[in-house]
Amino acid sequence: MNERDISEALGKAAEARDSVEPALLQRIADAIQPTLQAVRPLPRTWVLVSALMLIGGAVALGEGLRAGLFGFAKMDVIERVAIFFTLFWLACVAGTEFVNSMVPGSRRRIAAGKLGVSAGLLLLCVFALFFRDYHTEHFVSAGLLCLVTGVLHAIPVGLMGWLLLRRGVALNRISAGITAGTFAGLAGIALLELHCANFQALHILVWHTAVLPVSVAVGVIWARVLQDGKPGT
Amino acid sequence: MQGYANTGKDYPPVPLLMPGDSELELLMVRYQGGDFAAATALIHRVSPQLHRFFVAQLTSRSHADDLLQETWLRIHRVRHTYRPSEPVLPWVYAIARHVRVDHFRKAMRTQIREKRLAEITDVAANTNAGQRGPGDDLAKLLAPLPESQREVLEMLKITGMSLEEVARATSSTVGSVKQKVHRAYKKLREQLGSSESRKGRGGEQL
Repeated sequence: MNERDISEALGKAAEARDSVEPALLQRIADAIQPTLQAVRPLPRTWVLVSALMLIGGAVALGEGLRAGLFGFAKMDVIERVAIFFTLFWLACVAGTEFVNSMVPGSRRRIAAGKLGVSAGLLLLCVFALFFRDYHTEHFVSAGLLCLVTGVLHAIPVGLMGWLLLRRGVALNRISAGITAGTFAGLAGIALLELHCANFQALHILVWHTAVLPVSVAVGVIWARVLQDGKPGT
Repeated sequence: MQGYANTGKDYPPVPLLMPGDSELELLMVRYQGGDFAAATALIHRVSPQLHRFFVAQLTSRSHADDLLQETWLRIHRVRHTYRPSEPVLPWVYAIARHVRVDHFRKAMRTQIREKRLAEITDVAANTNAGQRGPGDDLAKLLAPLPESQREVLEMLKITGMSLEEVARATSSTVGSVKQKVHRAYKKLREQLGSSESRKGRGGEQL
């Protein structure tokens, strides 16, 4: 038996028409009639992604300007272009997936889990390429400070993003939580790259990149809390 | 996170769809504009397929009726999330699929909480088995497949959706859908092959 035979068998089985009682259809129509009003559709994906990018950019740049762009000032041009272009591109991808996870029937280009892992790995590669100072000083104390700063700025980005997309519907809340966490985590890392002048390789590889998984974890916990609190759409 | 119909505001007139857009999309846009006739037409157009989708998932007709109603109520609540120019069916099936998953989760929870219910469910399932209709053949054919593969094949066969549309409806990538279809065909080939060989052996013995 080949694929054509199976397709034919499936086709025949699927050909049988199913009928729905007209009374049931009428009941459904009657049920929605009292609340049938004009609604404003969600904006297009690019509009929502642009708004998300503005939120992420505003938080990272605003806090960077307030606290000082020491990291940015210490980088050479190639480092700046490579690191911030990577962060920008990853944020665009994560933002698009975040928006798509909130709109049923949207096109998904990458699974949420794969997105988080790929973003983390790509950042590790870029950081490993540019930061070669392998001596460590105040590894834990300085690192924890950066991690906390990154996550504390990622959380408002995630919350504002969630607020922006509140009219959407996350059919899979965990997936939405992961993509939201990834996007917010990238904004937190962007802030650290702008501000932190500690260019020790291990510090950046461990503590700066760790903002991403911690933000994803916060996003998943947030999504689970919502999932337990509400019965879906 | 939930968005509901905005009320009391003037919205721009329903946008005209470009030639080539399907009738379903036009109906959906009019439904979003508050047109009851379009909503009714959409319900009549899509419901038989949706009902079939639920019946094919080894659900009784009465359960399928309930799921169909629940699906339309949810569609109504979140109709603003449909965006004109996007395909309608993946959007509808994404919601229908979620309703079905919710239904099974609730059923599982209830079963765990109430041990005695298991016996009743068995009885109900046996009773409902007699009520199942045209979805039987497809359901039987797909029964050996895991849930995710069965769902993908049903969408492809019952609704005639493309791989891209099935990917949208299941919130996955086209590659993932292709992989599921491939695995499903492989499993069906094995199943059907072995049942044919059993029949053949039976014939020889006779």
